[in-house]
Amino acid sequence: MPKAVKGMILLLHCVLVQCDPSIKAIILKIDQDKHDYIVEDLDDQTLMVKETQLPKLKARLEEELANTQQMPDDSGSD
Amino acid sequence: VVDQIRLWQIEGERMKATVGFLFKDFVSAAEYEAPCRYAEEIGVLVWKNDARRMFFVTRHEQIATYLKNKPKSLKVAQAG
Repeated sequence: MPKAVKGMILLLHCVLVQCDPSIKAIILKIDQDKHDYIVEDLDDQTLMVKETQLPKLKARLEEELANTQQMPDDSGSD
Repeated sequence: VVDQIRLWQIEGERMKATVGFLFKDFVSAAEYEAPCRYAEEIGVLVWKNDARRMFFVTRHEQIATYLKNKPKSLKVAQAG
């Protein structure tokens, strides 16, 4: 739930996820279904995720990783 | 205090999740820099992006207090 500090600086309570760009790409892919996980895309290795969705995201990511274990390291950066 | 910070990892160091707070929408670089530097000094800063004027901290109480004690800079922010 967003909270305002002095009415102008936005303060968000959520989870900062820091990962490889390749892992981030998988998270973006998972989020594409419902846009239900990511709050904000911060940079190529950092995302804000809803705290309540973190366990679900973790499970989905593990699932995806199990399916894509042969993923090449240089999978492109777009 | 520490239980606010939860970390978990998937397959080693490939992913790290930290529960905390994102500060954003600072109206100027000066507005952003002081609390960001303060967060770093008190050891709660996890991530920052100077270009986007955002930073992420594990605890926000001290930052909020710090911002409240800066009436001059707040006035500048409200004017902008």
